[in-house]
Amino acid sequence: MPINYQKGILNEHLQVRESAGLFDVSHMGQILIPVDEKNIISLSKFIPLDFDKINFNRCYYSFLLNNNGGIIDDLIISKIQYKQKDFFYIVYNASRKKNDEEIFINHLNNYILLTNNSLIAIQGPNSEKIINFINESKNLFFMQTKTSNFLNKEIIISRTGYTGEDGFEISVPNDVSNQFIEILLKNSLIKLCGLGARDSLRIEAGLSLYGNELNEKITPIEANLTWSLHKSRLNDESLNGSKILTNQLNGKIKNLKVGLKSISRTMLRSNTKIYNIDKNQIGYISSGTFSPILGSSIGIGYINKSEINNKIYILIRNNWEELNIVSLPFIQNRYKRGG
Amino acid sequence: MSEKKYSKDHEWIEIDNDIATIGITNHAQESLGDIVFVELPTIGKQVSSNDEVCVIESVKAASDIYTPIDGEIIEVNEKLNDNGALVNEDPENTAWIFKLKISEPSQFNDLMTLSEYQEFLKSEEK
Repeated sequence: MPINYQKGILNEHLQVRESAGLFDVSHMGQILIPVDEKNIISLSKFIPLDFDKINFNRCYYSFLLNNNGGIIDDLIISKIQYKQKDFFYIVYNASRKKNDEEIFINHLNNYILLTNNSLIAIQGPNSEKIINFINESKNLFFMQTKTSNFLNKEIIISRTGYTGEDGFEISVPNDVSNQFIEILLKNSLIKLCGLGARDSLRIEAGLSLYGNELNEKITPIEANLTWSLHKSRLNDESLNGSKILTNQLNGKIKNLKVGLKSISRTMLRSNTKIYNIDKNQIGYISSGTFSPILGSSIGIGYINKSEINNKIYILIRNNWEELNIVSLPFIQNRYKRGG
Repeated sequence: MSEKKYSKDHEWIEIDNDIATIGITNHAQESLGDIVFVELPTIGKQVSSNDEVCVIESVKAASDIYTPIDGEIIEVNEKLNDNGALVNEDPENTAWIFKLKISEPSQFNDLMTLSEYQEFLKSEEK
């Protein structure tokens, strides 16, 4: 997937907010893991979910955790029936394939890496209309998934995405993926969009990205993603980092993840240091972009909790510029919830 | 009679007597992508060739703009204050960035003609 197609990042960004965009996210990892006792025990070591409570056809945002509770990767996991068998289906980051797959290889049985499947994301308010040629799309709500058929091939369709908009992500075997994309692009409501818009859309939606907000030294609690943890698992010593996570949950977190907004028109860029009024570093910008919806530069960053009500600054080309701290997300999401 | 030349940093410069108008080339705006902000230089400032005089911010990156020639900044394009995207739309015409009263006209000879610049772009692609 390129950074952008012909019309540029901002145009593609607005295309998704106003109608729909198609992202070819086939670079992401996809794996099917047979639902059996040994695989559940192995997954439970890394993933902070209660596997007894995972329902069929539901998607869960979660993580692979290291021994310190740090995030090896963030992922979407669901339980589905595929080719008449029960599987966990995990979609994980392209940038973390090597690390994730090392875990899968060493701990799981009979898994299938879906290297022959493309992954197509359709995002935006018109997504529902565009995908209605797949019957199962009509019975899905946000964070639900089903298997379906396209040209007699089994596909996996999920009502998920990473833009804050309603939308679907569809796993399609490579031998029919071109036909699938061609049908979608015949609809004038949808246009191809690239990685640049994908990044600016997820920042507006306040969503974290691995390598920016998330890394092996940050726990889900420190990343403000506590909602995604199944709390019962934190008392379970078989979960990596459970003690550290429990302590963090009961104690204090040093840094907070915040939304940032430029007051002047300076662009916020990742890895920029954030200072307090005494010019001491108190945090950093983890992601930055320009929001065409808000007409200003926005970002996500981590700052020391004790500074949350104080003025904060960045040093840009020898000028001290104040930033506003705002709550996330910048744009309210428009997921189709229910069911 | 004005004459237009090009720098290796992808600025264009048009000279009319001792006044130079400077902007970035179409090639430069294409590689920067969506421009969101142009930080204009200060009027009255003396600059020497290859000095950084201002910054263009695009969604992808911040990019320094250099002056290809010595002089005093006498005018900036205020339109760009509210509309950095104009540089994407019309980089070599209405989206000029600043004007210089030049002090070393001979420096103009060191810059590239349009055909030389086009050759330079081809060599950069390799």
